[in-house]
Amino acid sequence: MNRLSLNGTMAKSRIAAARVGIGGPVGSGKTALVERLIPALLERGVDIAVITNDLVTAEDAERIRRSGLIDPARVSAVEAGACPHTVIREDPTLNIEAADELERRFPGVELILLESGGDNLASTFSRDLTDFWMFVIDVAGGDDIPRKRGPGVIRADLLVINKVDLAPHVGVNIERMRQEALAVRGNRPVLLTNCRRGEGIDAIVDLLEREVLFRT
Amino acid sequence: MLFDRSQALALLQLGDSAYPAGGFAFSWGIEGLAADGMLANRNELDRVIADQLTRRWATMDRILLRKAFQAMDCKAIAEVDRLTEAGTPSAEMRDGSRRAGRALLGVWVKLEGPLSIAYRDRVSADARLGHLPIAQAVVGRDAGFSLDAAELVSGWTLVTGLVSAAVRLGIIGHIEAQQSQAAARGLLGELLADTPGADALPASFTPFIDIAISRGPLRHVRMFTT
Repeated sequence: MNRLSLNGTMAKSRIAAARVGIGGPVGSGKTALVERLIPALLERGVDIAVITNDLVTAEDAERIRRSGLIDPARVSAVEAGACPHTVIREDPTLNIEAADELERRFPGVELILLESGGDNLASTFSRDLTDFWMFVIDVAGGDDIPRKRGPGVIRADLLVINKVDLAPHVGVNIERMRQEALAVRGNRPVLLTNCRRGEGIDAIVDLLEREVLFRT
Repeated sequence: MLFDRSQALALLQLGDSAYPAGGFAFSWGIEGLAADGMLANRNELDRVIADQLTRRWATMDRILLRKAFQAMDCKAIAEVDRLTEAGTPSAEMRDGSRRAGRALLGVWVKLEGPLSIAYRDRVSADARLGHLPIAQAVVGRDAGFSLDAAELVSGWTLVTGLVSAAVRLGIIGHIEAQQSQAAARGLLGELLADTPGADALPASFTPFIDIAISRGPLRHVRMFTT
């Protein structure tokens, strides 16, 4: 947890922003999810900022900056040096610094979304970096992903199965995939989304409000 | 005993390439030189490392680290930090140096290093502060290092960072990486054997490396911050 203020003592004047990680394989829809979460969180009055971890381009950060959804100054990019899991787990210092910097520049920020670069099923976030993290997979990646029991699928606070609209086109039984995901996760949360159309986003925001922002 | 074991162990800890201070995200020109066709094999890498050590680290970073290490208080350290800012013409190099330095300082703030905590307050209030050699001096003091030890870690982490970047870019393999590190170890040892004068001024002359780093933002595809 990141509850230290700048002088290393417990913050007194304000509560530090919650840091929410979003990881998952390349192309699963992490950036699309961020683009849906931004307006949904803003609509509920949550003061937010975003950090992207780009692997070989500034594509994700630029895409979000140019989206018109959020003040571009509230979007920071951290280059991962070809190591998307390193920058969120073994050595998250650059992301921590980026988050601290956003909090310094925007003192009222309540929630910072940290989007990882696309990685494999073993990708997980350090608890020194995030207070809550979700792992995004998609139906087109195969309905056997939950059964492979990757650490990302198993250990994430929330598993998101995206692109559910494609299920009938790729021969996936979405309900069976969801049940298998719940089984390998010991019934911890699994939510279904179609980020392209914004379906399922409210359920994620409900969960963030309840489990991360403690608003309910 | 030939050496102080506790100091040697501390050196191994802080000089480890896996030390969590963001070093993996900086190639210090390796990526740019490779992209421009100026670095494609181990011999060329060794020349770049030698240039980095002799024409930048020994004459610039090391001098600044020494001044910051010997500075009386945070105000005096900040003056050296501003000198670093003023003496680094490339905006990308300045930005990279600050990001790397602030990451290192941030680790030591969370480890509750007293000087790191005090200096971090200044860095937070001034966007020009937080350069890497200055942060290395500050955390070296918090770690209880001698000046010699702090210099050694600074030089060695530069070497391991350059070699690691070259491996990830596919320029060399893991055995060649060890050969490059061994060659650089010899050169670093020679440089450390000479003590700079107290009045030495920081200077560097690595034009190709500076240009390669400065061209970073123009490259659509890049993996490293510098």
